[in-house]
Amino acid sequence: MGRGRTTGRGGPRGQQIRKKRVCRFCESKEVYIDYKNEKKLQRFISEQGRIIPKRITGTCSRHQRMLVQAIKRARHLALLPYVSEAVK
Amino acid sequence: MNQQSKRSYETIFIVNATLDDAQIEHLIEKLKEFLVKQGSDIQSVESWGRKRLAYSIQKKNNGFYVLCEFSAGPEIGAKLERYYALEENVIRFLIVQLTDKALRARREKAAAETETPGDEPAKPLPKTTPPAADNADGENNAA
Repeated sequence: MGRGRTTGRGGPRGQQIRKKRVCRFCESKEVYIDYKNEKKLQRFISEQGRIIPKRITGTCSRHQRMLVQAIKRARHLALLPYVSEAVK
Repeated sequence: MNQQSKRSYETIFIVNATLDDAQIEHLIEKLKEFLVKQGSDIQSVESWGRKRLAYSIQKKNNGFYVLCEFSAGPEIGAKLERYYALEENVIRFLIVQLTDKALRARREKAAAETETPGDEPAKPLPKTTPPAADNADGENNAA
């Protein structure tokens, strides 16, 4: 297998989308993730409005927890959708 | 109330956007008055203005967002919740306790912004911009 985790089950045939190694928040040394910044949070939800798992975004566990809370707060305030319009 | 028992809070509420500006202004004044009466210190009040909601709340697609920061004793949560519930034109609200981390993040951000303005990649309009990254553990919310 050689490279292991970098190539998924499909081997080199499928391109890897959004596979990141480092946590974005660790890179910028964020202590807190603001729920009011919906543009920033938007990157971490799918088109349907679901939270993207950390295994795809590469976010570390600590920041993922903060992110999840921020997203849920933003949803409550209608800054982010629970379910996107397209799915409804 | 002694100073030590005060905690930092932040609250956002969404006002029915069909009201005119004077009525909204009046509502904000009323909230300020309420908070002061409860013995809290208001640090800032920020109006984000009318925004489109990500989903409709009470069949409304737009809302007027108001953010308020204050410090008060721990009993303010329940009181403020009740206040909002009785206020018909508030269609959604969130009360968050600002933890030390959140406050620190905010201070750092504020310091960084004064040093290098225009550092933020996605810089929204200044009027509608929330100050900085913050979040908290203590949370009261209701719909």
